[in-house]
Amino acid sequence: MKIPHKKELIELQKKYRTDKRIGEALGGVPAYLVAYWRRKKKIGRYNYPKYSEEQIKELWERLGDDAKAGEELGIGSHAFRRWRKRYKLKEKPVQLKLEQLKLELDINFNLLRKSMKYTIARNLLASKAGKKKVEVGEIVEVEPDLAMSHDNAGLVIKQFRQIGVEKVWNNKKIVIPLDHRAPAESEKTAIAHKSIREFVREQEIKNFYDIREGVCHQVVVEKAHLLPGQLAVGTDSHTTSYGCIGAVSTGIGATEMAVVWATGRIWLLVPETIKITIDGKLPKGVYAKDVILNLAKRLTVEGANYKAIEFYGSTVKEMSISERFTLSNLSMEMGAKFAVVPFDETAQTYLVGRTNKNYEPVFAGEEAEYVQEVELRVERMVPQVACPDNVDNVKNVAEVTRVRIDQVVLGSCTNGRLDDLEIAAKILKGRKVHLDVRMLVIPASRSIYLQAMEKRFLRDFIEAGCVVLNPGCGPCLGAHQGILAPGERCLATTNRNFKGRMGSPEAEVYLGSPATAAASAIRGRITDPREFL
Amino acid sequence: MLKKIEGRVWKLWNNIDTDIIYPGKYLPIIEAKEMALHALEGYDKDFPKKIKKGDIIVAGANFGCGSSREQAATSLKHAGIACIVAKSFSRIFFRNAINQGLALVISKEAHKLVKEGEEVTIDFAKGKLSTQKGETDFPPLPEMVMGILDDGGLIAHTRKRLGISRADSM
Repeated sequence: MKIPHKKELIELQKKYRTDKRIGEALGGVPAYLVAYWRRKKKIGRYNYPKYSEEQIKELWERLGDDAKAGEELGIGSHAFRRWRKRYKLKEKPVQLKLEQLKLELDINFNLLRKSMKYTIARNLLASKAGKKKVEVGEIVEVEPDLAMSHDNAGLVIKQFRQIGVEKVWNNKKIVIPLDHRAPAESEKTAIAHKSIREFVREQEIKNFYDIREGVCHQVVVEKAHLLPGQLAVGTDSHTTSYGCIGAVSTGIGATEMAVVWATGRIWLLVPETIKITIDGKLPKGVYAKDVILNLAKRLTVEGANYKAIEFYGSTVKEMSISERFTLSNLSMEMGAKFAVVPFDETAQTYLVGRTNKNYEPVFAGEEAEYVQEVELRVERMVPQVACPDNVDNVKNVAEVTRVRIDQVVLGSCTNGRLDDLEIAAKILKGRKVHLDVRMLVIPASRSIYLQAMEKRFLRDFIEAGCVVLNPGCGPCLGAHQGILAPGERCLATTNRNFKGRMGSPEAEVYLGSPATAAASAIRGRITDPREFL
Repeated sequence: MLKKIEGRVWKLWNNIDTDIIYPGKYLPIIEAKEMALHALEGYDKDFPKKIKKGDIIVAGANFGCGSSREQAATSLKHAGIACIVAKSFSRIFFRNAINQGLALVISKEAHKLVKEGEEVTIDFAKGKLSTQKGETDFPPLPEMVMGILDDGGLIAHTRKRLGISRADSM
């Protein structure tokens, strides 16, 4: 018979432990012979613990309970605790995993539909205002669950000081990530950042993220500062993004935020709602970005002004939180006040491990009254590009493939997440960015940046000739890191292509998906990404 | 209370966005007077110099779409614009303008009636806009919104609500 190699023998030993059982597993080799092989190969007696550290740790993190974890191994809770102590696992796991949370989160969806005729916005504003009934068009005063500001907190602070209230209403409900000009690109910004840091210390604001963390909206969602069924206001128009987890959120100005900081109150008009149903399987090379650009074309840039949007349909159901983020983020470009993908299992799973707080999602009633219903099928959709100078000036990619470009921007709260980077990295891997093109890659957050590093996407980008920047807004709003000169053209995965948005008013910005961005960077002109898929 | 204003008209088109009104590169400015130097710079580089105190903007639909940047409203107000008339306003701009105490009129007809540079009269009490070509009625703003405007903006309005006098604040 064949004598096993050293490695094989070690593996067998891990599995069967004793020489006798190893022998049996090898088909009746006597124990003394196995022991002889061991000595020859300098392998000691079995001294591995019965349960490995990884095994115990995994069970503990997943279940967080001695009895339940012990049950999985067929041992008692005391025994499991001894194993746990042996590996120094003393603290209860902070990040609870799926199974554990599901037990606590047995949501009765039907109970939560407050009124059959109410939309999500109406239901939420009624409950926030403490009223049984609210009408569309009614103005209610409510306390938001979250008040988000970024670098413009500097202006909010200035206005807050004018009011004459000393302390903010709730230092736990204010979130401030610095992202728009991070790190500070000018002395003015540096002064603003400094004033924000001082204010944060003075007011003991709990959730402050200095320049290291990433784009505000991504940070809020990633760190679960807002939960399904909650209401947020933010001094940024793209605050609508939090609808991706079933929350309701909208943008306001700095003065208004100063008043929220001072009083904890804001007036909101109960909006009309547009129901958008998207059905079908997305074809190759077509992504959430293409879908929402196509919707912007149909509804126009003011099609949802003052209105809320609710997203339904099989396509949306299949979408990840990241893709839904793109939908609710760009809904703002149609003027939407709120843009919500109703809470479901995808959102629930996303939040597992991110929060251990209870939350109460809000849904629309079965007979909810909508001002408009839009239906869209995506099976035959092709990649879309928004052309200058408005987000609703959308064309099929084939119509613009002659447009030469000088810069490509991959990033932003719209499309700077791990899946976006992955799509682009796969296209760019082993290829080179066109010599006349500057391609900037800006992961939306520190966590995405790290994951992209671990998955070697950053390496692919750098090898292809991209410039990888720190997490933040980058050149999206024309603040820094890639300003355009007159006559230059840029294809960006960001959210706005207004005149002068990314620098010179004589420059042009086109918007497309991460795949379109990567393909275009290779060719030096706007390119259909399906050529590379 | 706002009653009647007269002013010279600047006529603008649809979808005047916040990057046209106040380009992103000026966002770190926090003094209103300095913001005013860049109002509508994306439309016309010399616009801030051309504005006279009391001028009125008459625009198409969706005025102020885009960013939540309040500086768009603040810069126009401090550049001397007394009122903006538009077919419709973008949601956030609407709130920002009211919060800065900048009067707004929503009128579908005005854009057709007015000529660039002419003097028009806006009577808020009667809800009437008069031009050389004729008159048009416009609906009043909601009462609570008018309340903020009458107090001179949201800060003053809030101080009044909270019962804080001028001397208390810094």
